[in-house]
Amino acid sequence: MDFACNFPFFSIMLLMFTGIISMIAGPRPAKILSLAALGISTVLSALLIAYINQTGESFIYMMGHFPAPFGNEISAGMFEAVMAFGICGVAFLSLWGNGASTKTDIPEKKRNLYYIMMDMLMASLLVLIYTNDIFTAYVFVELNTIAACAIVMSKPGGETIAATIRYLIMSLLGSGLFLLGISLIYALTGHLLMPNMHEIIIELVHNSNYTLPLIVIVGLFGVSMAIKSALFPFHSWLPDAHGSATTASSAVLSGLVLKGYIILLIKLFFRVFSLDILKEFHISDVLLVLGLLGMIMGSVKAIKETNIKRMIAYSSVAQIGYIFMGIGMDITIGLVAAVFQILVHMVTKPMLFTAAGGLINVSGHKKDFESLQGSAWKDPLAGVSFIVGSLSMIGIPLFAGFIVKYYLAAAAFDTSKNTLIILAVLVLSTVLNALYYVPAISKIYHRDEASKFNWQDVLRTIGAVGDFPYQASLIIFIILNIILGTCSGPVFQALEMGLDMLG
Amino acid sequence: MGLICILLPIIGGIWLLYKKRQTYFVRLVLLLHVLLTGILLFLPDTSWVVWKLTDQLNIVLKTDGLSRIFLAMVSLIWLVVSVYAQDYLEHDENPIRFFAFYLLTLGGLTGLCLAGNFMTLYLFFEAMSLLSVPLVLHTMTREAVAAALKYLIYSIAGASMALIGFFILLHYGSIEFAAGGTLSAAVISEHRDILLAGALFTVVGFGTKAGIFPMHSWLPTAHPVAPAPASAVLSGVITKAGIFAVIRVVYYQFGVELIAGSWVQYVWIILSLISVLMGSTLAFKEQILKKRLAYSSVSQLSYILFGLGTLTPTGFVGAVLHVVCHSVIKNGLFLGAGAVIHQTHKTKVRELDGIGKVMPVTMTCFTICALALVGIPPSGGFVSKWNLIAGSLESGLGLISWLGPVILLVSAVLTAGYLLGISVQAFITGKDKNGAAAGQEVSGRMRNSQMLLAFLAVVLGVFSGPLISYLETIAGGLF
Repeated sequence: MDFACNFPFFSIMLLMFTGIISMIAGPRPAKILSLAALGISTVLSALLIAYINQTGESFIYMMGHFPAPFGNEISAGMFEAVMAFGICGVAFLSLWGNGASTKTDIPEKKRNLYYIMMDMLMASLLVLIYTNDIFTAYVFVELNTIAACAIVMSKPGGETIAATIRYLIMSLLGSGLFLLGISLIYALTGHLLMPNMHEIIIELVHNSNYTLPLIVIVGLFGVSMAIKSALFPFHSWLPDAHGSATTASSAVLSGLVLKGYIILLIKLFFRVFSLDILKEFHISDVLLVLGLLGMIMGSVKAIKETNIKRMIAYSSVAQIGYIFMGIGMDITIGLVAAVFQILVHMVTKPMLFTAAGGLINVSGHKKDFESLQGSAWKDPLAGVSFIVGSLSMIGIPLFAGFIVKYYLAAAAFDTSKNTLIILAVLVLSTVLNALYYVPAISKIYHRDEASKFNWQDVLRTIGAVGDFPYQASLIIFIILNIILGTCSGPVFQALEMGLDMLG
Repeated sequence: MGLICILLPIIGGIWLLYKKRQTYFVRLVLLLHVLLTGILLFLPDTSWVVWKLTDQLNIVLKTDGLSRIFLAMVSLIWLVVSVYAQDYLEHDENPIRFFAFYLLTLGGLTGLCLAGNFMTLYLFFEAMSLLSVPLVLHTMTREAVAAALKYLIYSIAGASMALIGFFILLHYGSIEFAAGGTLSAAVISEHRDILLAGALFTVVGFGTKAGIFPMHSWLPTAHPVAPAPASAVLSGVITKAGIFAVIRVVYYQFGVELIAGSWVQYVWIILSLISVLMGSTLAFKEQILKKRLAYSSVSQLSYILFGLGTLTPTGFVGAVLHVVCHSVIKNGLFLGAGAVIHQTHKTKVRELDGIGKVMPVTMTCFTICALALVGIPPSGGFVSKWNLIAGSLESGLGLISWLGPVILLVSAVLTAGYLLGISVQAFITGKDKNGAAAGQEVSGRMRNSQMLLAFLAVVLGVFSGPLISYLETIAGGLF
């Protein structure tokens, strides 16, 4: 076994130990440790991508070299590696870029705890991506939930506490359903490792034994992950939790944590079941319909919203709808498109949250559009990032969002589902996205008629607002978005290869 | 070469935003653009893949007959209007921003004209829509902001509808433009319904930019609030981007064969006839001068869409001819209206009594353009409308083939009513009831631009022969 196969294990352990060490560290060392661990994990994931690209196959890694059932297994392929790379990289950028606002929002005493929770959150996300063992997945789903709740709550105020309780209840409901699913599948198959379960399930389906329990299991997995990833109509907790948290948390929660569960769900669908079984059970139809509804309803809710962070949070509901639509088409190319959307949303949403955070900062920490008027002139870089993010969400060519729509539309022709309806919803959601992002842009760029303004002053303000990490991370986010929008070929091939390795 | 043409105004615009150059810089960029376009016109047809977004999606630039006509029109009018705008915006707070986005929009339009496939077309269509928003926003009043939002949302909605067609074409055919369409007969017979649906979505989607019913209502809101030079190019040139896109998609992608005689053609023609009639009627009733002109655009642009919808060579020639004529004429009219507003701050039609005595040149040019738009020979409007009506009669669509011309003629009478009425008021009503005589004639440069456009409106009619024969060769390849 090559040395590179240790990398997933290393990154997980690195993050967990960073969390443990940070307990005795002050807020500043805790932050630096966190960033360092995330940075190293990003590099390790990049190396892993290179390694897998070379070998061309996935591998299974036994932790501590104990075979199952005593040991624990990690399975890593191209899909996992790319997702881990995206998650670690984006988390690094979000935490690094929003360091200043974290400092003002989170009290001094709690700040090292905040970073500990971040470490735990990222470690558990990586486990969700890499694990080959369904019970380990459950344990880390719980850890993830608790860390996420603590992160939302770390900003003091009644708003966040109410949001956290809501979040906690919904999340626990999801976890409970997931556990129920695991118990049932364990009772049916007697295994907890994904490949072993897969063999038995194929046999069961082949002999059409236990069809009903299997449908229930797939349903339980689908619903539990849908609750956790805020698929419509289980989205009601999301805007409160993501809208009230501090900017770095909103970026990480909306951009990454939601995706962790979807990635787990895709792994379950691929490695435990298979696309054919899903098609047979019609669970993909349900996901498709919910995805389509989510694309519309998320945007409709966002249109009515007057708080910028809640608006962006509702937009996540719509974007998650795209992902589930891709999954619901139950063909490989649809899934690749869905996974590509995961990646695109991963770089776009944190950018929007970071930009919104910057705009909120220059408008006296108020989040409603009335107070945000003209804020983009005070922080031009945030304004530009917000525009880039919005254009990507609307689906203007050259930005990442357009490529997603293209892949999803291309998949819509190959699926057995109704192509025209999928296309129509895709296009309708484009218009709906425009209906809230465009007015938002016009509000943040609104000026009083009287106030004189000078382009050179504005250009000078760039660089004067916010610290270096903030500016750098926004610029990197913009570049990433445009790279995904113009050179998506290699990324798409990598994802195709990754999904190929999964099944 | 094509890329230079696109990048020149874009870089110029960005440079202008950054450096606040004097107005001579704008003129230099535009003159260079005209020069480059001129060279491009005489170079042979080319096609060049600039960038590959994915395996299927390329950015391609291409020159052919149609792009030459549109490019020449855009480039020339942009130069003429910019000369006018420099004086018009003399006392404006923010001429630099206006000219910067004016140049950027030109970059988008140039790219649109040179687009070699649907992907590139869509890219530049969106880019142009977004970049032209600041022109509408210019005054930054509450009204302007609302109008700009409406403009943008209609544009995006229209483009999204066209996107359905884009996806369908991408799957069933190719997105490269090829005269006569890219769909093979086998595909057409097999997937007829979905292709037709896609064609309708695309026509109405891009038609939004040209104010086709029921997507017309942004036009009378957005065009009047912009400064006059901006309303002129918005109404006269940018709306033609929608027409251009419709031509490209219908004649170079879906192909005439698919649509001819199908329900899509009927829906298309009926929608355009409704817009023709509705536009003229609303213009007739409208009292605010610029709004009246905007409604007039709704009606005139649908003349063009009607001509394209007949799917006959004559109709096509008439339509493209009307694109050119209407561009020149509508710009002339808006510049005239702008001149009146600039000198007297009067926006309502009934305040214009006797204005012709004070501003004789402006109102004469206005009247010439008005006559040309009505279609009095020997103006350009006459030749294009003649072809449009001939095309309709050739189309063999039963009732519509003669109902169409009737509606066009009725609308022409209405046009005469709403435009010549102003001239009559200006010159003949003589009595100065409202103190209109307070103003005076506009400066030399503004006057020259108007005179040039009025002159062109007539020349296009008198010497339309070469243009028509050129268009006929293009049309020959399409049918």
